[in-house]
Amino acid sequence: MDHGHRLSRRRLLQTLAASGVIAAADLAWWEEPFLAPRRAWGATPVRFQFSVPEPKRTALVESLAERFNKSQTEHEVKVEFVPQAQARQKLISSIAAGTPPDCCQVWDNWVGEFDGMGALEDLTGKVKDWKHYKDVLPLAWQTVTMKDRILSYPWVVTNDGLYWRTDRAKEYGVKPPRDDWNWDDFLAFTKAMTRPDKNQYGFGMRGQGTWAVLYATEFMYGNGAQVLKDGKVVINSKEAAEGLDWYLDLMRKHKVTPPSVPTDGWRQIVEGFGRGITNTYLHNSGSAEEQKGFVGADHFSTVPLPVGPAKKRASFYFSETLTMFKGGKNRDGAWKFCTWLMDDEPNAMYCKTLGLLPARKTLADRPEFAKDPALAGFVKSFPFSIVSPYLAYAGWGGKLDSEGVPLFQQAMVGKLSAKECLDRFAEVLTKNMK
Amino acid sequence: MSYPGATVAVVAPRPLISRRARQILTGYAYLIPAALCLGGTILFPILKAIHMSLYNHVLIRPQEYAFIGLGNYARVLHDEVFWLSLKNSAVWVFGSVSLQFVGGFAAALLLHQGFRGRAAVRTVTLIPWIIPGVVVALVWEWLYQPNYGVLNDLLLKAGLLRERVAWLSDPALAMPAVVAANVWRGVPFFAIMLLAGLQAIPDELYEAARVDGASVVGRFRHITLPLLRPIIVVATATRIIWTFNYADLIFVMTSGGPANATQITSTYTLLQAYSNLDFGYAATLSVVLLLIMLAFTIVYLRVTRGIESVS
Repeated sequence: MDHGHRLSRRRLLQTLAASGVIAAADLAWWEEPFLAPRRAWGATPVRFQFSVPEPKRTALVESLAERFNKSQTEHEVKVEFVPQAQARQKLISSIAAGTPPDCCQVWDNWVGEFDGMGALEDLTGKVKDWKHYKDVLPLAWQTVTMKDRILSYPWVVTNDGLYWRTDRAKEYGVKPPRDDWNWDDFLAFTKAMTRPDKNQYGFGMRGQGTWAVLYATEFMYGNGAQVLKDGKVVINSKEAAEGLDWYLDLMRKHKVTPPSVPTDGWRQIVEGFGRGITNTYLHNSGSAEEQKGFVGADHFSTVPLPVGPAKKRASFYFSETLTMFKGGKNRDGAWKFCTWLMDDEPNAMYCKTLGLLPARKTLADRPEFAKDPALAGFVKSFPFSIVSPYLAYAGWGGKLDSEGVPLFQQAMVGKLSAKECLDRFAEVLTKNMK
Repeated sequence: MSYPGATVAVVAPRPLISRRARQILTGYAYLIPAALCLGGTILFPILKAIHMSLYNHVLIRPQEYAFIGLGNYARVLHDEVFWLSLKNSAVWVFGSVSLQFVGGFAAALLLHQGFRGRAAVRTVTLIPWIIPGVVVALVWEWLYQPNYGVLNDLLLKAGLLRERVAWLSDPALAMPAVVAANVWRGVPFFAIMLLAGLQAIPDELYEAARVDGASVVGRFRHITLPLLRPIIVVATATRIIWTFNYADLIFVMTSGGPANATQITSTYTLLQAYSNLDFGYAATLSVVLLLIMLAFTIVYLRVTRGIESVS
């Protein structure tokens, strides 16, 4: 028997001690890993988190980052792609853990939450000195302003409008909607576009996710309702309840919506229209490019929301922001990258590829945006667009989804009346005015 | 006088600990890695959850982080959605497990028979169990899709439906629909467990019963069932606990909706943790669920005491 290779106890202890010393020595490298990627020309890395709703965006953002990296030698952007559904919780967790990325792309309704955590710096002074400051739409600045402080860049803006099938309207001999149509016109249009025998419905209503509450609120605004008045929550007013009732009756009474409404989220309403199940749906300009691929650019158009009985209408304004964090390790690099993304060509390229509207006036006026029929409904909605009233308090962010949506679903399926739903919703909002 | 090369006997010093104590300590030393693993992965998270449940810990409001004692537990008592989710959980767990058991038992009895292609059928039976829960949820969501799902299409063509049914969007149908998907997924678990039990029953017992004139039902009642009881007890207890904690299917198919009709305790806890980022309350819900499952397990084991040792 060969004992030559047997590990003696002494050797084992020596080996363990040696590996302990090596491990302890290596601790110093944790902050900056020993096997760190080689930095080209000494460029400092910029961590940019991007939430990915579709593969097209991934390729586009990679290409933008590459262009930025080639345009200068000081900073190197590394894009961290995160699924959209997890982006908010990942960002908040990383802020809480003290390791946020240097900058990120997020919807403006999260900015308030980040600010509530003390994670954002006041950019007002810096932004006002920025060369394109005055070129950005004032409403777009409003979406990223909290307590008179500008906290992010509005990269692109979006408001809501109605997508409708031009080819189907022609086929069924239905008069196309006018830009100043009203609720009665809308109801008549959706009824005429509902063909149960063909498994087609006039309106793709959303019942799942935060925007299910927002779309319903836009209709309530059409009836003269408001979310906040003199600092108080008034979303349970008579006007709001009547507006909600009318909106929900599209599903409950008139049956111009598919039966799946209570569980239809963003993906379902976009695909429902794309597959030819619905002939109209309410959404922002973000799905225009997708619909060009689904139903063809010549087969649909967009139109502003109808005017309500109070002779009012509202389209809620949102922005996709570029947000930088106080806790970021390369704030200078983040600032340079974000301002570069707001420059003419990168900004126009991002918006054009994805069918979004730039926040900068000179870009939005370009024919590829201003004259695109798929975006016409949104451009025409600018005069009555307002910043979403639900951006008023950071505490409302998650509650719309976790408590608001189930209440609206209960009203949809007849478990609560519109008034009961709004009374309870108003309680939730009042409790979370923080 | 010295003797070169001779070995001199030296009295060994008395060891610090006795041989017996050393043996005992060595035994415990072998347990340390396992104890560390279990402590780190089970005990520590439980203790941490209990600790978190005593704090107001909302991730988006770090400035409000504070010790609130049993405040979160008092909130549970007044939380209507929690009580609704507990009721829904009972329907979800007992509906799923009882039907999985019946289906699994039938499948096991069938697979125990000798027929051509039995091995292939046994393999196919396992497929629902092999597929990840999220994939099962997506497949069933498509089957149930009211506008272009295959289920409505088939039922309409067969004349069994007059109009399309929104299986997952109707509060009255959503829970039965998700239970059906879960039954499909869980049947193979019982089938395989019970089949293993059936194969362990000696054929002589059935032969003797047959000689004594016992009927098929008699043989099932007096031989099969009693000898399978230990497996039935263990399999159902395990499955009940798994199903109670299993959130994937409902989370993907309905997110607890519509109108909380399929909100079960595990999805509600997820909602509190990852939508509201209220870690304190989510930890409280987890502790409450742990206590409920602990109580259930104790009662279940008491009720079935002795059954598992029948064989």
